[in-house]
Amino acid sequence: MVRFVEFIGALFGKVLSEVGAIGLFVIKTLSVGISTFPNLKRFGEECYNIGIQSLFVVCSVGAFIGMSTALVGYATLKDLGAQNLVGIFIGIASIRELGPAVAAFMVAAKAGSGMAAHIATMRVKEQIDAMEVQAVNPFWYLIVPRFLAIMVVLPVLVVWNDFFMLGTGYMIAVFQLKINSGAVMENLLSTVAMADIWKGMIKGWVLALFIVSICTFKGFTCEPGALGVGKATNQAVVYCIAILIIINFFLSQWLYGGIGLRGM
Amino acid sequence: MASKEEFRKYETGEPIVTVRNLSKSFGSLRVLKDLNCDIKAGETTVFLGPSGTGKSVFIKHIVGLLKPDEGELEVMGRNVPTLGERELYELRKHLGLAFQLGALFDSLNVYDNVSFPLSHHTRMRQKEIKSRVAEVLELVGLPGTENKLTTELSTGQQKRVGLARALALNPTIVLFDEPTTGLDPILCTTIDELILKLKTELGKTFIVISHDIEGTWNMADQVGVLYQGTLLRYGRNADVRRDDNIFLKQFFGRTEDGPMIGV
Repeated sequence: MVRFVEFIGALFGKVLSEVGAIGLFVIKTLSVGISTFPNLKRFGEECYNIGIQSLFVVCSVGAFIGMSTALVGYATLKDLGAQNLVGIFIGIASIRELGPAVAAFMVAAKAGSGMAAHIATMRVKEQIDAMEVQAVNPFWYLIVPRFLAIMVVLPVLVVWNDFFMLGTGYMIAVFQLKINSGAVMENLLSTVAMADIWKGMIKGWVLALFIVSICTFKGFTCEPGALGVGKATNQAVVYCIAILIIINFFLSQWLYGGIGLRGM
Repeated sequence: MASKEEFRKYETGEPIVTVRNLSKSFGSLRVLKDLNCDIKAGETTVFLGPSGTGKSVFIKHIVGLLKPDEGELEVMGRNVPTLGERELYELRKHLGLAFQLGALFDSLNVYDNVSFPLSHHTRMRQKEIKSRVAEVLELVGLPGTENKLTTELSTGQQKRVGLARALALNPTIVLFDEPTTGLDPILCTTIDELILKLKTELGKTFIVISHDIEGTWNMADQVGVLYQGTLLRYGRNADVRRDDNIFLKQFFGRTEDGPMIGV
């Protein structure tokens, strides 16, 4: 029992120190970002790396999830005799929850792991030390552009993903489930408000902050050797996914929790 | 404030780096113990010693990548451990470090690597940067390699590109971290001769970390021998070479017989 308490205490201490270290890392990044003019060339490169390279994977996963949503929604509503309302189900699920979450998960898996691995490799190969010795602040060159880029790109990817999910959901509803196209479209349009798209972008923006903080931190503080790079990349993705799920819940609570309560 | 003062010119023989009671530990391991020395401007100073005796740790203190636990380290009149970030970056513009394994940015080609400090710290035009990059690549014996990826280069070439990058800003002090480690004997000689040539042509202060004894006798004005974090001997090349110290005799004689233990 004592050992168990000791174990929990040590684990809690470790988590707290890690959170503190990430917090200091973010503060350092912000201070460099505010006090210096950003490196626009690197910002552009990172927008390309994160945006263009994640676009295909985000949209293809989003497309399949949109189709699944239509099928699941249809099966659920059919039991209630309301299968014609599947457009509402697709609209709410895609725009409010799945669009931002799927885009964030895919960016964490694709771009986040890439960031962690790249920075970690630079750390173990002394390239970050070399940058320091050449009087170029690695936070300015490596970290700040990634922060700026992901916070611009992820909200855009969220919107893009929303449209892919709605589009594929619509096609399944109309062509496979044979629901009247006008009804599906009307339900979609009546459900999806501009505010929902904005809220999805806010979710994307907040989740982006967590992805980039964790992934760049893990890469920057990588332990030596190939094992260190592997560990940093692995931890970055696992921590990201776990934290994104938790943060996504709190964001939904903040953005939509009030609606639920009013509806009760 | 020291940082706002101009970096003055140092006369040959004048101490440009002064080290006083420098100590550093990593956990319970004491890597540097009370190091004291003056490194003179315009000379080549080589720090020799077996692997794992703190040579690279020492060089990282000079460029401010590590902070000592105790002691003082003055480089060009700046007390490095007490410098703020901006002051340290200002100082580093006057230092060039060629890393042991090159530490080239492998996402960039040779040109982008060598021009990296130039494009960040000078107002040189693209044409001038191009010409400076060509000049330093020529100096290290790699002309016309600008468009090559660093991954296409051999280890020796990577080290030389690293050296070209270190020289690009025309620094006052050039530091080499084990320039010949892992190279074949012909390349070792090439690199040693390159350092000698650079010293003759550029007249800069060179600080070299090495365990290549022959190379040291050829290039060094001053020699320091580090063993288990302690500076066993520090002095003129000929004096150190003739020293009767039992540790030095063992190290220079490349024998296992003696008090020195390999790490």
